[in-house]
Amino acid sequence: QGRDRRRVSPAGSAPPGPVPEGLIRVYSMRFCPFAQRTLLVLKAKGIGHEIININLKNKPEWFFKKNPLGLVPVLENSQGQLIYESAITCEYLDEAYPGKKLLPDDPYEKACQKMVFELFSKVPPLVTRFVRRQNNEDGSGIKEELRKEFTKLEEVLTNKKTAFFGGNSLSMIDYLIWPWFERLEVLELNECTDHTPKLKLWMAAMREDPAVSALLIEAKALRGFLDLYLQNSPEACDYGL
Amino acid sequence: TGPSNPPSPAGSSPPGPVPEGLIRVYSMRFCPYAHRTRLVLRAKGIRHEVININLRNKPEWYYTKHPFGQIPVLENSKCQLIYESVIACEYLDDAYPGRKLYPYDPYERARQKMLLELFYKVPYLTKECLVAIRCGRECADLKLALRQEFCNLEEILGYQNTIFFGGDCISMIDYLFWPWFERLDVYGIADCLNHTPALRLWTAAMKQDPTVCALLIDRNIFLGFLNLYFQNNPDAFDFGLTC
Repeated sequence: QGRDRRRVSPAGSAPPGPVPEGLIRVYSMRFCPFAQRTLLVLKAKGIGHEIININLKNKPEWFFKKNPLGLVPVLENSQGQLIYESAITCEYLDEAYPGKKLLPDDPYEKACQKMVFELFSKVPPLVTRFVRRQNNEDGSGIKEELRKEFTKLEEVLTNKKTAFFGGNSLSMIDYLIWPWFERLEVLELNECTDHTPKLKLWMAAMREDPAVSALLIEAKALRGFLDLYLQNSPEACDYGL
Repeated sequence: TGPSNPPSPAGSSPPGPVPEGLIRVYSMRFCPYAHRTRLVLRAKGIRHEVININLRNKPEWYYTKHPFGQIPVLENSKCQLIYESVIACEYLDDAYPGRKLYPYDPYERARQKMLLELFYKVPYLTKECLVAIRCGRECADLKLALRQEFCNLEEILGYQNTIFFGGDCISMIDYLFWPWFERLDVYGIADCLNHTPALRLWTAAMKQDPTVCALLIDRNIFLGFLNLYFQNNPDAFDFGLTC
Protein backbone atom coordinates (compact mmCIF):
# COMPACT_ATOMS: atom_id res chain seq x y z
CA GLN A 1 0.00 0.00 0.00
CA GLY A 2 1.68 3.19 -1.14
CA ARG A 3 5.16 3.08 0.22
CA ASP A 4 4.38 1.09 3.38
CA ARG A 5 6.21 -2.19 3.19
CA ARG A 6 6.23 -3.03 6.85
CA ARG A 7 5.67 -6.68 7.59
CA VAL A 8 3.20 -7.53 10.29
CA SER A 9 4.37 -8.06 13.86
CA PRO A 10 4.93 -11.80 14.11
CA ALA A 11 2.92 -14.02 16.46
CA GLY A 12 4.63 -14.37 19.81
CA SER A 13 6.45 -11.08 19.24
CA ALA A 14 7.30 -8.88 22.20
CA PRO A 15 5.21 -5.75 22.61
CA PRO A 16 6.69 -2.66 20.96
CA GLY A 17 8.39 -0.08 23.15
CA PRO A 18 7.04 3.36 23.99
CA VAL A 19 6.38 5.81 21.19
CA PRO A 20 9.23 8.29 20.74
CA GLU A 21 8.46 11.92 21.53
CA GLY A 22 7.45 13.91 18.49
CA LEU A 23 5.83 10.93 16.79
CA ILE A 24 2.48 9.25 17.01
CA ARG A 25 2.13 5.54 16.32
CA VAL A 26 -0.69 3.92 14.35
CA TYR A 27 -1.41 0.22 14.59
CA SER A 28 -2.65 -0.55 11.12
CA MET A 29 -2.91 -3.10 8.31
CA ARG A 30 -1.95 -2.19 4.77
CA PHE A 31 -5.26 -3.22 3.19
CA CYS A 32 -7.74 -2.21 5.91
CA PRO A 33 -10.14 0.56 4.77
CA PHE A 34 -10.80 1.69 8.34
CA ALA A 35 -7.08 2.11 9.05
CA GLN A 36 -6.72 3.88 5.72
CA ARG A 37 -8.94 6.67 7.08
CA THR A 38 -6.40 7.35 9.83
CA LEU A 39 -3.44 7.12 7.45
CA LEU A 40 -5.13 9.62 5.11
CA VAL A 41 -5.57 12.12 7.92
CA LEU A 42 -1.99 11.62 9.12
CA LYS A 43 -0.80 12.24 5.56
CA ALA A 44 -3.11 15.17 4.85
CA LYS A 45 -2.06 16.96 8.03
CA GLY A 46 1.63 16.09 7.65
CA ILE A 47 1.77 14.45 11.09
CA GLY A 48 5.01 12.60 11.87
CA HIS A 49 4.09 9.02 12.59
CA GLU A 50 5.28 5.43 12.73
CA ILE A 51 3.26 2.43 11.56
CA ILE A 52 3.08 -1.01 13.14
CA ASN A 53 1.13 -3.42 10.97
CA ILE A 54 -0.91 -6.10 12.71
CA ASN A 55 -1.66 -9.55 11.31
CA LEU A 56 -5.43 -9.54 11.67
CA LYS A 57 -5.49 -13.32 11.06
CA ASN A 58 -2.97 -13.98 13.83
CA LYS A 59 -3.02 -11.13 16.32
CA PRO A 60 -0.22 -10.86 18.86
CA GLU A 61 -1.45 -11.12 22.47
CA TRP A 62 -0.05 -7.70 23.35
CA PHE A 63 -2.27 -6.02 20.77
CA PHE A 64 -5.35 -6.59 22.96
CA LYS A 65 -3.72 -4.28 25.53
CA LYS A 66 -3.77 -1.56 22.88
CA ASN A 67 -7.39 -2.19 21.94
CA PRO A 68 -9.48 -4.73 23.89
CA LEU A 69 -11.51 -5.29 20.72
CA GLY A 70 -8.30 -6.26 18.87
CA LEU A 71 -9.16 -4.06 15.88
CA VAL A 72 -7.14 -1.61 13.82
CA PRO A 73 -6.64 1.30 13.60
CA VAL A 74 -5.34 2.30 17.02
CA LEU A 75 -3.33 5.43 17.78
CA GLU A 76 -0.73 5.50 20.53
CA ASN A 77 1.06 8.69 21.48
CA SER A 78 4.25 9.26 23.45
CA GLN A 79 2.19 9.72 26.62
CA GLY A 80 0.96 6.14 26.19
CA GLN A 81 -2.60 7.33 25.44
CA LEU A 82 -4.55 4.96 23.20
CA ILE A 83 -7.33 5.98 20.83
CA TYR A 84 -9.38 3.58 18.72
CA GLU A 85 -12.40 3.49 16.39
CA SER A 86 -11.32 4.95 13.06
CA ALA A 87 -13.60 8.00 13.06
CA ILE A 88 -12.57 8.85 16.62
CA THR A 89 -8.87 8.58 15.71
CA CYS A 90 -9.38 10.95 12.78
CA GLU A 91 -11.18 13.55 14.84
CA TYR A 92 -8.54 13.26 17.58
CA LEU A 93 -5.74 13.94 15.08
CA ASP A 94 -7.58 16.95 13.68
CA GLU A 95 -8.04 18.42 17.16
CA ALA A 96 -4.65 17.54 18.62
CA TYR A 97 -2.42 18.64 15.74
CA PRO A 98 -1.95 22.08 14.20
CA GLY A 99 -2.08 22.93 10.54
CA LYS A 100 -4.93 22.52 8.11
CA LYS A 101 -8.20 21.71 9.88
CA LEU A 102 -10.06 18.92 8.15
CA LEU A 103 -13.24 19.40 10.13
CA PRO A 104 -14.97 22.78 9.79
CA ASP A 105 -14.96 25.24 12.67
CA ASP A 106 -18.60 26.13 12.09
CA PRO A 107 -20.73 23.93 14.38
CA TYR A 108 -23.46 23.44 11.79
CA GLU A 109 -21.04 22.56 8.99
CA LYS A 110 -19.33 20.11 11.34
CA ALA A 111 -22.71 18.57 12.23
CA CYS A 112 -23.48 18.27 8.49
CA GLN A 113 -20.29 16.26 7.97
CA LYS A 114 -21.35 13.93 10.76
CA MET A 115 -24.84 13.58 9.27
CA VAL A 116 -23.31 12.63 5.90
CA PHE A 117 -21.11 10.13 7.74
CA GLU A 118 -24.28 8.53 9.17
CA LEU A 119 -25.79 8.49 5.68
CA PHE A 120 -22.73 6.57 4.47
CA SER A 121 -22.77 4.08 7.36
CA LYS A 122 -24.56 1.25 5.53
CA VAL A 123 -21.88 1.11 2.79
CA PRO A 124 -19.05 -0.67 4.69
CA PRO A 125 -21.21 -3.59 5.90
CA LEU A 126 -22.74 -3.93 2.41
CA VAL A 127 -19.29 -4.10 0.80
CA THR A 128 -18.20 -6.66 3.40
CA ARG A 129 -21.29 -8.76 2.71
CA PHE A 130 -20.56 -8.60 -1.01
CA VAL A 131 -16.94 -9.61 -0.55
CA ARG A 132 -17.81 -12.49 1.77
CA ARG A 133 -20.69 -13.87 -0.25
CA GLN A 134 -20.50 -17.51 -1.17
CA ASN A 135 -19.61 -18.47 -4.74
CA ASN A 136 -23.14 -19.36 -5.70
CA GLU A 137 -24.67 -16.07 -4.53
CA ASP A 138 -24.86 -13.67 -7.43
CA GLY A 139 -24.61 -10.46 -5.38
CA SER A 140 -27.17 -8.55 -7.44
CA GLY A 141 -29.32 -7.92 -4.38
CA ILE A 142 -26.38 -6.38 -2.55
CA LYS A 143 -25.51 -4.29 -5.62
CA GLU A 144 -29.05 -2.96 -5.66
CA GLU A 145 -28.79 -1.97 -2.02
CA LEU A 146 -25.44 -0.29 -2.69
CA ARG A 147 -26.97 1.67 -5.56
CA LYS A 148 -29.63 2.95 -3.14
CA GLU A 149 -26.98 4.10 -0.68
CA PHE A 150 -25.00 5.78 -3.45
CA THR A 151 -28.15 7.59 -4.57
CA LYS A 152 -28.42 9.14 -1.10
CA LEU A 153 -24.86 10.40 -1.40
CA GLU A 154 -25.51 11.70 -4.92
CA GLU A 155 -28.43 13.70 -3.47
CA VAL A 156 -26.10 15.33 -0.96
CA LEU A 157 -23.79 16.51 -3.75
CA THR A 158 -26.79 17.67 -5.79
CA ASN A 159 -28.28 19.65 -2.90
CA LYS A 160 -24.97 21.17 -1.86
CA LYS A 161 -23.91 21.96 -5.45
CA THR A 162 -20.29 21.38 -4.43
CA ALA A 163 -17.57 19.07 -5.72
CA PHE A 164 -16.87 17.53 -2.34
CA PHE A 165 -19.05 16.38 0.54
CA GLY A 166 -18.01 19.22 2.81
CA GLY A 167 -17.93 22.02 0.26
CA ASN A 168 -15.68 23.03 -2.60
CA SER A 169 -12.50 21.76 -0.98
CA LEU A 170 -11.74 18.29 0.20
CA SER A 171 -12.28 17.81 3.94
CA MET A 172 -12.67 15.18 6.65
CA ILE A 173 -15.89 13.57 5.41
CA ASP A 174 -14.32 12.91 1.97
CA TYR A 175 -11.36 11.10 3.55
CA LEU A 176 -13.65 9.10 5.85
CA ILE A 177 -15.68 7.63 2.99
CA TRP A 178 -12.96 7.40 0.31
CA PRO A 179 -11.42 3.95 1.16
CA TRP A 180 -14.59 2.09 0.12
CA PHE A 181 -14.86 4.00 -3.15
CA GLU A 182 -11.21 3.23 -3.88
CA ARG A 183 -12.05 -0.48 -3.65
CA LEU A 184 -15.10 -0.46 -5.95
CA GLU A 185 -13.12 -1.13 -9.12
CA VAL A 186 -11.13 -4.08 -7.75
CA LEU A 187 -14.31 -5.54 -6.25
CA GLU A 188 -16.12 -5.14 -9.59
CA LEU A 189 -18.71 -2.87 -8.01
CA ASN A 190 -18.09 0.17 -10.19
CA GLU A 191 -21.37 -0.40 -12.02
CA CYS A 192 -23.12 0.68 -8.80
CA THR A 193 -22.10 4.24 -9.62
CA ASP A 194 -23.52 4.15 -13.16
CA HIS A 195 -26.48 6.33 -12.24
CA THR A 196 -24.60 8.68 -9.88
CA PRO A 197 -22.57 11.02 -12.12
CA LYS A 198 -21.64 13.50 -9.41
CA LEU A 199 -20.30 10.69 -7.26
CA LYS A 200 -18.19 9.54 -10.23
CA LEU A 201 -16.81 13.06 -10.65
CA TRP A 202 -16.07 13.17 -6.93
CA MET A 203 -14.15 9.88 -7.17
CA ALA A 204 -12.05 11.27 -9.99
CA ALA A 205 -11.39 14.47 -8.03
CA MET A 206 -10.39 12.46 -4.97
CA ARG A 207 -7.74 10.56 -6.96
CA GLU A 208 -6.07 13.92 -7.65
CA ASP A 209 -5.62 14.63 -3.96
CA PRO A 210 -1.98 14.23 -2.81
CA ALA A 211 -2.84 12.25 0.34
CA VAL A 212 -5.25 9.96 -1.52
CA SER A 213 -2.84 9.29 -4.37
CA ALA A 214 0.10 8.71 -2.02
CA LEU A 215 -1.85 5.96 -0.27
CA LEU A 216 -3.53 4.36 -3.30
CA ILE A 217 -3.35 0.60 -3.08
CA GLU A 218 -2.24 -1.24 -6.18
CA ALA A 219 -5.18 -3.22 -7.60
CA LYS A 220 -3.29 -6.52 -7.97
CA ALA A 221 -2.07 -6.34 -4.39
CA LEU A 222 -5.57 -5.70 -3.10
CA ARG A 223 -6.96 -8.61 -5.08
CA GLY A 224 -4.13 -10.90 -3.92
CA PHE A 225 -4.69 -9.85 -0.31
CA LEU A 226 -8.45 -10.36 -0.52
CA ASP A 227 -8.18 -13.85 -1.98
CA LEU A 228 -5.84 -14.94 0.83
CA TYR A 229 -7.84 -13.08 3.51
CA LEU A 230 -11.08 -14.77 2.51
CA GLN A 231 -9.31 -18.11 2.90
CA ASN A 232 -8.25 -16.98 6.40
CA SER A 233 -4.61 -17.24 5.42
CA PRO A 234 -2.17 -15.84 8.01
CA GLU A 235 -0.05 -14.70 5.04
CA ALA A 236 -2.74 -12.37 3.70
CA CYS A 237 -1.76 -9.19 5.54
CA ASP A 238 1.83 -9.36 4.21
CA TYR A 239 0.73 -9.96 0.61
CA GLY A 240 3.16 -8.57 -1.92
CA LEU A 241 6.06 -8.15 0.50
CA THR B 1 -44.77 25.82 22.97
CA GLY B 2 -43.21 23.91 25.84
CA PRO B 3 -42.15 20.47 26.90
CA SER B 4 -45.66 19.57 28.06
CA ASN B 5 -47.44 20.41 24.86
CA PRO B 6 -49.65 17.82 23.25
CA PRO B 7 -47.92 16.26 20.29
CA SER B 8 -48.59 17.63 16.85
CA PRO B 9 -51.11 15.26 15.33
CA ALA B 10 -51.35 14.11 11.76
CA GLY B 11 -53.08 16.74 9.62
CA SER B 12 -51.74 19.64 11.65
CA SER B 13 -50.16 22.50 9.76
CA PRO B 14 -46.38 22.94 9.82
CA PRO B 15 -44.96 25.18 12.51
CA GLY B 16 -43.61 28.57 11.48
CA PRO B 17 -39.96 29.54 11.45
CA VAL B 18 -38.01 29.43 14.68
CA PRO B 19 -37.83 32.88 16.30
CA GLU B 20 -34.39 34.45 16.59
CA GLY B 21 -32.73 33.77 19.89
CA LEU B 22 -34.37 30.38 20.26
CA ILE B 23 -33.62 26.90 19.02
CA ARG B 24 -36.37 24.38 18.46
CA VAL B 25 -36.27 20.68 19.28
CA TYR B 26 -38.71 18.22 17.77
CA SER B 27 -39.15 15.70 20.54
CA MET B 28 -41.44 13.27 22.36
CA ARG B 29 -41.79 13.39 26.12
CA PHE B 30 -40.81 9.76 26.72
CA CYS B 31 -38.20 9.19 24.03
CA PRO B 32 -34.73 8.45 25.50
CA TYR B 33 -32.87 9.78 22.44
CA ALA B 34 -34.70 13.10 22.57
CA HIS B 35 -34.13 13.10 26.32
CA ARG B 36 -30.37 13.38 25.63
CA THR B 37 -30.87 16.56 23.66
CA ARG B 38 -33.23 18.05 26.24
CA LEU B 39 -30.66 17.33 28.97
CA VAL B 40 -27.98 19.22 27.04
CA LEU B 41 -30.31 22.15 26.31
CA ARG B 42 -31.08 22.37 30.00
CA ALA B 43 -27.52 21.82 31.24
CA LYS B 44 -26.25 24.65 29.05
CA GLY B 45 -29.17 26.93 29.79
CA ILE B 46 -30.05 27.23 26.10
CA ARG B 47 -33.34 29.00 25.36
CA HIS B 48 -35.45 26.63 23.33
CA GLU B 49 -38.93 25.64 22.30
CA VAL B 50 -40.20 22.07 22.15
CA ILE B 51 -42.55 20.64 19.55
CA ASN B 52 -43.67 17.14 20.48
CA ILE B 53 -44.39 14.71 17.67
CA ASN B 54 -46.94 11.90 17.84
CA LEU B 55 -44.69 9.07 16.73
CA ARG B 56 -47.59 6.74 15.94
CA ASN B 57 -49.31 9.32 13.78
CA LYS B 58 -46.71 11.68 12.37
CA PRO B 59 -47.80 14.85 10.63
CA GLU B 60 -46.84 14.90 6.93
CA TRP B 61 -44.82 18.09 7.37
CA TYR B 62 -42.51 16.37 9.83
CA TYR B 63 -40.86 14.44 7.00
CA THR B 64 -39.51 17.78 5.75
CA LYS B 65 -37.60 18.01 9.03
CA HIS B 66 -36.29 14.41 9.04
CA PRO B 67 -36.35 12.06 6.03
CA PHE B 68 -37.60 9.15 8.15
CA GLY B 69 -39.62 11.17 10.65
CA GLN B 70 -37.33 10.38 13.57
CA ILE B 71 -36.67 12.48 16.66
CA PRO B 72 -34.87 14.38 18.03
CA VAL B 73 -34.28 17.07 15.42
CA LEU B 74 -32.96 20.55 16.13
CA GLU B 75 -34.06 23.50 14.01
CA ASN B 76 -32.53 26.93 14.43
CA SER B 77 -33.67 30.36 13.27
CA LYS B 78 -31.57 29.96 10.10
CA CYS B 79 -33.72 26.93 9.21
CA GLN B 80 -30.73 24.63 9.70
CA LEU B 81 -31.73 21.10 10.73
CA ILE B 82 -29.54 18.80 12.80
CA TYR B 83 -30.35 15.21 13.66
CA GLU B 84 -29.08 12.06 15.26
CA SER B 85 -29.20 12.64 19.00
CA VAL B 86 -25.42 12.51 19.50
CA ILE B 87 -24.76 14.90 16.62
CA ALA B 88 -27.42 17.28 17.99
CA CYS B 89 -25.84 17.20 21.47
CA GLU B 90 -22.37 17.92 20.09
CA TYR B 91 -23.76 20.71 17.92
CA LEU B 92 -25.30 22.39 20.96
CA ASP B 93 -22.06 22.10 22.92
CA ASP B 94 -20.10 23.63 20.02
CA ALA B 95 -22.59 26.34 19.05
CA TYR B 96 -23.52 27.72 22.44
CA PRO B 97 -21.33 29.48 24.98
CA GLY B 98 -21.09 28.82 28.66
CA ARG B 99 -20.46 25.52 30.31
CA LYS B 100 -18.73 23.03 27.98
CA LEU B 101 -20.03 19.49 28.42
CA TYR B 102 -17.35 17.83 26.32
CA PRO B 103 -13.79 18.24 27.67
CA TYR B 104 -11.37 20.60 25.91
CA ASP B 105 -8.52 18.09 25.80
CA PRO B 106 -8.54 16.14 22.51
CA TYR B 107 -7.63 12.87 24.23
CA GLU B 108 -10.35 13.28 26.88
CA ARG B 109 -12.86 14.09 24.13
CA ALA B 110 -11.80 10.95 22.26
CA ARG B 111 -12.12 8.95 25.46
CA GLN B 112 -15.76 10.05 25.89
CA LYS B 113 -16.48 9.06 22.30
CA MET B 114 -14.85 5.65 22.84
CA LEU B 115 -17.02 5.20 25.95
CA LEU B 116 -20.09 5.93 23.89
CA GLU B 117 -19.14 3.06 21.55
CA LEU B 118 -19.09 0.77 24.60
CA PHE B 119 -22.69 1.72 25.33
CA TYR B 120 -24.21 0.91 21.94
CA LYS B 121 -25.99 -2.33 22.87
CA VAL B 122 -27.78 -0.83 25.89
CA PRO B 123 -30.63 1.00 24.10
CA TYR B 124 -31.49 -2.07 22.02
CA LEU B 125 -31.36 -4.44 25.02
CA THR B 126 -33.41 -2.24 27.36
CA LYS B 127 -36.07 -1.80 24.71
CA GLU B 128 -36.20 -5.52 23.96
CA CYS B 129 -36.60 -6.28 27.69
CA LEU B 130 -39.43 -3.75 27.94
CA VAL B 131 -41.26 -5.22 24.96
CA ALA B 132 -40.73 -8.81 26.15
CA ILE B 133 -42.04 -8.06 29.64
CA ARG B 134 -45.01 -6.08 28.33
CA CYS B 135 -45.90 -8.86 25.93
CA GLY B 136 -45.58 -11.49 28.67
CA ARG B 137 -42.53 -13.13 27.11
CA GLU B 138 -39.44 -14.63 28.76
CA CYS B 139 -36.50 -12.25 28.85
CA ALA B 140 -33.89 -13.92 31.06
CA ASP B 141 -31.37 -14.04 28.20
CA LEU B 142 -31.90 -10.39 27.36
CA LYS B 143 -31.46 -9.38 31.00
CA LEU B 144 -28.30 -11.45 31.19
CA ALA B 145 -26.94 -9.68 28.13
CA LEU B 146 -27.86 -6.31 29.62
CA ARG B 147 -26.14 -7.19 32.89
CA GLN B 148 -23.02 -8.04 30.90
CA GLU B 149 -23.07 -4.60 29.30
CA PHE B 150 -23.48 -3.05 32.73
CA CYS B 151 -20.47 -5.08 33.95
CA ASN B 152 -18.38 -3.54 31.17
CA LEU B 153 -19.42 -0.07 32.28
CA GLU B 154 -18.77 -1.02 35.92
CA GLU B 155 -15.21 -2.00 34.97
CA ILE B 156 -14.64 1.42 33.46
CA LEU B 157 -15.76 3.19 36.62
CA GLY B 158 -13.58 0.84 38.68
CA TYR B 159 -10.54 1.37 36.49
CA GLN B 160 -10.98 5.16 36.43
CA ASN B 161 -11.91 5.37 40.11
CA THR B 162 -14.16 8.35 39.37
CA ILE B 163 -17.80 8.98 40.21
CA PHE B 164 -18.82 9.98 36.71
CA PHE B 165 -17.79 8.55 33.35
CA GLY B 166 -15.82 11.65 32.39
CA GLY B 167 -14.16 12.26 35.76
CA ASP B 168 -15.30 13.69 39.07
CA CYS B 169 -17.78 16.09 37.51
CA ILE B 170 -20.75 15.26 35.35
CA SER B 171 -20.12 15.75 31.65
CA MET B 172 -21.50 14.93 28.20
CA ILE B 173 -20.98 11.17 28.32
CA ASP B 174 -23.03 10.91 31.54
CA TYR B 175 -25.94 12.79 29.95
CA LEU B 176 -25.71 10.59 26.84
CA PHE B 177 -26.02 7.43 28.99
CA TRP B 178 -28.54 8.68 31.51
CA PRO B 179 -31.94 8.33 29.74
CA TRP B 180 -31.74 4.53 29.62
CA PHE B 181 -30.77 4.24 33.28
CA GLU B 182 -33.65 6.51 34.29
CA ARG B 183 -35.98 4.09 32.51
CA LEU B 184 -34.74 0.84 34.12
CA ASP B 185 -37.23 1.07 36.99
CA VAL B 186 -40.26 1.93 34.87
CA TYR B 187 -39.32 -0.79 32.35
CA GLY B 188 -39.22 -3.31 35.22
CA ILE B 189 -35.53 -4.18 34.94
CA ALA B 190 -33.91 -2.21 37.76
CA ASP B 191 -32.58 -5.49 39.15
CA CYS B 192 -30.06 -5.56 36.28
CA LEU B 193 -27.99 -3.19 38.40
CA ASN B 194 -27.81 -5.65 41.31
CA HIS B 195 -24.22 -6.68 40.66
CA THR B 196 -22.80 -3.29 39.70
CA PRO B 197 -22.34 -1.13 42.81
CA ALA B 198 -20.29 1.62 41.14
CA LEU B 199 -22.97 1.98 38.49
CA ARG B 200 -25.60 2.22 41.24
CA LEU B 201 -23.55 4.96 42.89
CA TRP B 202 -23.36 6.70 39.54
CA THR B 203 -27.16 6.62 39.11
CA ALA B 204 -27.56 8.04 42.63
CA ALA B 205 -25.09 10.80 41.83
CA MET B 206 -26.88 11.51 38.56
CA LYS B 207 -30.19 11.92 40.39
CA GLN B 208 -28.53 14.67 42.43
CA ASP B 209 -27.65 16.61 39.29
CA PRO B 210 -29.94 19.66 38.88
CA THR B 211 -30.35 19.10 35.15
CA VAL B 212 -31.23 15.43 35.51
CA CYS B 213 -33.63 16.28 38.35
CA ALA B 214 -35.38 19.01 36.42
CA LEU B 215 -36.19 16.60 33.59
CA LEU B 216 -36.99 13.49 35.64
CA ILE B 217 -40.13 11.94 34.24
CA ASP B 218 -42.87 11.28 36.77
CA ARG B 219 -43.05 7.54 37.33
CA ASN B 220 -46.84 7.27 37.24
CA ILE B 221 -47.15 9.35 34.11
CA PHE B 222 -44.50 7.22 32.41
CA LEU B 223 -46.31 4.04 33.45
CA GLY B 224 -49.57 5.48 32.19
CA PHE B 225 -47.95 6.26 28.83
CA LEU B 226 -46.44 2.77 28.59
CA ASN B 227 -49.78 1.13 29.39
CA LEU B 228 -51.56 3.04 26.62
CA TYR B 229 -48.64 2.64 24.21
CA PHE B 230 -48.69 -1.12 24.54
CA GLN B 231 -52.42 -1.17 24.03
CA ASN B 232 -51.75 0.69 20.77
CA ASN B 233 -53.85 3.53 22.04
CA PRO B 234 -53.24 6.60 19.83
CA ASP B 235 -53.78 8.86 22.85
CA ALA B 236 -50.73 7.37 24.59
CA PHE B 237 -48.59 10.35 23.71
CA ASP B 238 -51.00 12.76 25.37
CA PHE B 239 -51.10 10.83 28.63
CA GLY B 240 -50.68 13.00 31.70
CA LEU B 241 -51.15 16.32 29.96
CA THR B 242 -53.72 18.66 31.40
CA CYS B 243 -55.07 21.02 28.76
